[in-house]
Amino acid sequence: MPCERKPMRYGHSEGHTDVCFDDEGKCVVTCGSDGDVRIWESLDDDDPKSINVGEKVYSVGLKNGKLVTAVSNNTIQIHTFPEGDPDGILTRFTTNANHVTFNSSGSRVAAGSSDFIVKIVEVVDSSQQKTLRGHDAPILSVALDPSDEFLASSSCDGSVAVRFYYNGKHKSSDVSNAKSLCRLAWQPRSGKLLAVPVDLTIQLYDRNTWTHVSTLSDDLISQVVNVVVWSPCGKFLAAGTVGGNLLVWDVEAKLCIERQKHEKGFTVCGMAWHPSGGRIAYTDTEGCLGLLEGVPSSSSTVQSTKVSRKTHDYDDLFDEDDDRGLDEGMSDSRSPVKKPIMEEDDDDDDLMPATGRPRNRGSFLDDDDNSQGMRCLHKASKEDGSSAILPAVGPAVSRPVYEGPMPTQPQRAFQPGSTPVHLMHRFMVWNSVGIVRGYNDDQDNAIDVEFHDTAIHHAMHLTNTLGHTMADLSQEAVLLACEGTEELASKIQCLHFSCWDTHKDWIVDLPKGEDVRTLCLGQGWAAVATSALMVRLFSVGGVQKEIFSLPGAVVCMAGHGEQLLIVYHRGTGFDGDQALGIQLLQLGHKRRQVIHGEPLPLSRKSYLAWMGFTAEGTPCCIDSEGVVRMLNRTLGNMWTPVCNTRDSCKSKSDHYWVVGVHENPQQLRCIPCKGARYPPTLPRPAVAVLPFNLPYCQTTTEKGQMEEQYWRSVLFQNHYGFLSSSGYEIDSEGQSRAEKEQQELLMKMFALSCKLEREFRCVELAEIMTHSVVTLAIRYASRSRRMALAQRLSELALEKASQIQEEEQEEEEPEEQMDAEESTETRKLSKCSSFSSILVSEKYSGLKYIQAKICSSFEEMKLLLNFVFQEYLINIFKLQVSGAGKSSSSPAGQPRTTNVLDSMTMSNRKPAPLGSTSKQGKAPVLKPLAPKPKSKVHCASMPHRDKNIETFQNAASAPRVMPKTGFQLWLEENRKSILADNPDFEEMDVIKEGMGRFRTLSAEERLNWTERAKGDSDPKKRKREDEEGQVDEQTESDEGRTKKKKPLDTSAKLSAFAFNKE
Amino acid sequence: MDPAEVEFLAEKEMVKIIPNFSLDKIYLIGGDLGPFNPGLPVEVPVWLALNLKQRQKCRIVPPEWMDTDKLEEIREQERKLDTFTPIPSLYYMELTKLLLNHSADNIPKADEIRTLVKDIWDTRVAKLRLSADSFISQQEAHAQLDNLTLMEINTTRSFLLDSLNYMYKLRSNLQPGRSQDY
Repeated sequence: MPCERKPMRYGHSEGHTDVCFDDEGKCVVTCGSDGDVRIWESLDDDDPKSINVGEKVYSVGLKNGKLVTAVSNNTIQIHTFPEGDPDGILTRFTTNANHVTFNSSGSRVAAGSSDFIVKIVEVVDSSQQKTLRGHDAPILSVALDPSDEFLASSSCDGSVAVRFYYNGKHKSSDVSNAKSLCRLAWQPRSGKLLAVPVDLTIQLYDRNTWTHVSTLSDDLISQVVNVVVWSPCGKFLAAGTVGGNLLVWDVEAKLCIERQKHEKGFTVCGMAWHPSGGRIAYTDTEGCLGLLEGVPSSSSTVQSTKVSRKTHDYDDLFDEDDDRGLDEGMSDSRSPVKKPIMEEDDDDDDLMPATGRPRNRGSFLDDDDNSQGMRCLHKASKEDGSSAILPAVGPAVSRPVYEGPMPTQPQRAFQPGSTPVHLMHRFMVWNSVGIVRGYNDDQDNAIDVEFHDTAIHHAMHLTNTLGHTMADLSQEAVLLACEGTEELASKIQCLHFSCWDTHKDWIVDLPKGEDVRTLCLGQGWAAVATSALMVRLFSVGGVQKEIFSLPGAVVCMAGHGEQLLIVYHRGTGFDGDQALGIQLLQLGHKRRQVIHGEPLPLSRKSYLAWMGFTAEGTPCCIDSEGVVRMLNRTLGNMWTPVCNTRDSCKSKSDHYWVVGVHENPQQLRCIPCKGARYPPTLPRPAVAVLPFNLPYCQTTTEKGQMEEQYWRSVLFQNHYGFLSSSGYEIDSEGQSRAEKEQQELLMKMFALSCKLEREFRCVELAEIMTHSVVTLAIRYASRSRRMALAQRLSELALEKASQIQEEEQEEEEPEEQMDAEESTETRKLSKCSSFSSILVSEKYSGLKYIQAKICSSFEEMKLLLNFVFQEYLINIFKLQVSGAGKSSSSPAGQPRTTNVLDSMTMSNRKPAPLGSTSKQGKAPVLKPLAPKPKSKVHCASMPHRDKNIETFQNAASAPRVMPKTGFQLWLEENRKSILADNPDFEEMDVIKEGMGRFRTLSAEERLNWTERAKGDSDPKKRKREDEEGQVDEQTESDEGRTKKKKPLDTSAKLSAFAFNKE
Repeated sequence: MDPAEVEFLAEKEMVKIIPNFSLDKIYLIGGDLGPFNPGLPVEVPVWLALNLKQRQKCRIVPPEWMDTDKLEEIREQERKLDTFTPIPSLYYMELTKLLLNHSADNIPKADEIRTLVKDIWDTRVAKLRLSADSFISQQEAHAQLDNLTLMEINTTRSFLLDSLNYMYKLRSNLQPGRSQDY
């Protein structure tokens, strides 16, 4: 459709000019070197309104009734429109600004000046401005992205820079020859493409990847392209050249649909598209204004040619949303479950506010930096909406509203431990072996390989001639790969530096049309996943090995030893979730699949951010929400969350970029990134170590803490089992340490439950304990007078022991030889416990109190394992007993009786002697066996003392489990001398004094006494045991039957333990 | 104490390094160091850090305060106030010199940092001189040395004490009668 070129008319005096339309397209606004801004009602308007704004005007922008001009007095001024009253100065430069432009909503103005600076200013509040530096030459042109995310600027140095304009982060740059004005333009509405005039062509860059998408050119262009402008619909692109050529392309079809020649051949330096399309105003360097009418603006002509678009694949639908507004009819006929509609929803917010459609944008508005394939979703205008720029789309037609879940864009393939490809300086991989950095800037296209441990290999610097974008690093080799281009096939390059021959590297070309998506290295092998849904295995030396197909597009791979982990798209995720599957293969001698494509759990609305193995070889994954999950091999290969890195972040925009996971010691190595998802290569980021923290309930309480610690320890110990089963050597010391830690934790939990009187829970805990620790638990239970518990535990211990024995029996000949003495001890133990359980009644609450006190400080004292404390326990108990025995011989003493009635009567007069007992109980716990100075409190509590002692006496005389200690014997002998020295001493004082004296004895002497005590107590015990045996034969025969059947080595272990401790 | 001695003391300060070798814990009289894992930061004294650096066994992570923004702030503060401001490290001058001389490649903006620290030092020493001057001219009996670092005290100490001694002698000579009292 040919368009009509109206004759040029005089606009300004000779020199640079610029042109734009107002919002409604009623008038054309021009500016020129005469310092005037002229407002033309039409081309034939003979009396245009003139506003003088300065000496020379370089550029003009108009939006929302505000006219901004770049004036020769180095300022950017605002005038009202159409009145033309000065409205202040927006910003200043040190030299004149070359170009000024509004963003799509008119809220901001960007201006580029000859002093190499780009400024972005809020129109409403000119104090809010950002200055962007980075160019080394005067800025030629600036362009703000319609979605307010990027700023593109071109400069005389020939570079085009695109940056995030809110933080000025450098995104990308491209060298172009810039003899022209180099006016850039973002595609309106979506901002998907950036058009850059480069020499005789216009190059289109993709917003997501900053890769060159296509080039528009035409034979007619004989001189440099000066200006490019997009049609408001974003479908057409018009360009003006130095030679005065005007061309219009259909971008989609790359078809030049309009060619016009300036009537005098003057250079076109300003162009503007009418807001409703159909007209282009242009100005030249001679100050003339021209108009092109009838430029195709609606897509009607072109639409018919585009039926073939239906064949676009899924990815394209998401990427090429630019023209979606135009062929709505088509998207209607297609499946409604398609992203573009949603994106249009964002665009058309103001057009159809009444549809009441669920707005799903929230899910896409998370992070601006999660650029791996997600950026195009960041559509929604975050500023004040797109109210002013109703694009020249026909009125929004009603569409069938789809209200179901929306499919998520599948995440792109990535290399774990790499930063996004579009960065100029990036980490291609950072793992436990080393770092591979990629540089792709003006001077250099290179790859640096650096090893954490220089003992592996020295650092390497490679020139990246092939344009590798993927890398992996192992102790043996560096694997690099690039995607294919039109001419070149996708290549894999391997630098096998540990190779012993002279050819250290090999290169493999993939078949045409097949691109490497992701790759990984293992021990002696390399794996490459390709766009053909295939995984190709190579040996590290370059031998091609197995190939196999994947059920879906690969997301990432990781290798460790002989294990290969593959994550792929299992299907389409909905509402922001990804649907990923995972396979774990064992590539060793016995090849097998360990995980057969099961779904990989991720947090809601997150994607996979890192995948790999811990240093010990357990698969581990991290999603974009920062949750670290680890494979639990003992729980049917389930995934257990072990840490949330976001919990440690100070601010919401901070992230941790994980570089490695270690199980022994438990370390999550990561790089803290302030306000970003990825670290920059410079300054060199430092690794921080995060602890693991399983999300157990109530970790503020002691119980929750210990449970978390226990299960964490169990989980992180799993790798020992795996490693030993797959034939690796393991750190057995570490393993035993971990086991010991677990048992200690269990014992602590046991003690805690005991304290809380949760006996059932105690038994549950004991069930997890190892046999030897159960015996310890029994001791603890009996010490704390929980005989019922002790009894249950002893049953449990027997069970456990029998299990162990059965296992042993299976392996070797059963040991028939049972020690008689040991078996009697077993019986004795059970008897004692049953007997004492009858006798122990609530009148021992005084005693219980002591024990509770002891318990509370127990935990701090490494529990029962503390030898000193044990001895003390025995001592204090015995002391009381012996003391009571002595005092009973005095007239005031009670007769020594052991029958039930007696204890009943005593329970009646049991005003709990808390005062004295607590004193006695407390002080020595903190400082065992420390002599305590006499106090008046003590005397005051004297009346209670006897009863207190009686309770002890009863308790002691009944079971008499404890043997006499050395101190006791010593005290018996030395009591007289103490009494002789201090005739006024009470019983307790005697004991105190005795304690003090005993402590002054030399170690040998004390040992001597202990020896004597051992020799002494055993026969006594046995005698007593015989007496008691008759008393409760009944009980024993009831419960002891099972025990007798299997006379076990439990008691042997227990007694051995007891003797060890003493 | 001469500057070398102060520098020696400064070498006891801890600094983070990223080793490129692996080594178990080492047990020294001053305490245990390590374990050293390649790529993982570990705290060691400056003397060891410099030694390892010279043997190219590690990279030094500059201390947190060794950053242009923070130093600029300190410099402004130092210039604004008449008194001495608190300094992030008691050995800032020595550490800057040591680290910048030996591992400038690991420290971003090394030159700027050098200038800034030198500025801070100059400001502080000028203040010190000024206060010493007023100390003498006003014949004060004592002066507070809050927030002064060892190095700063040592630069002025010998000179100040010697000159005070001389002045005392001179004064007592001026007034022979009174000098006998002492």
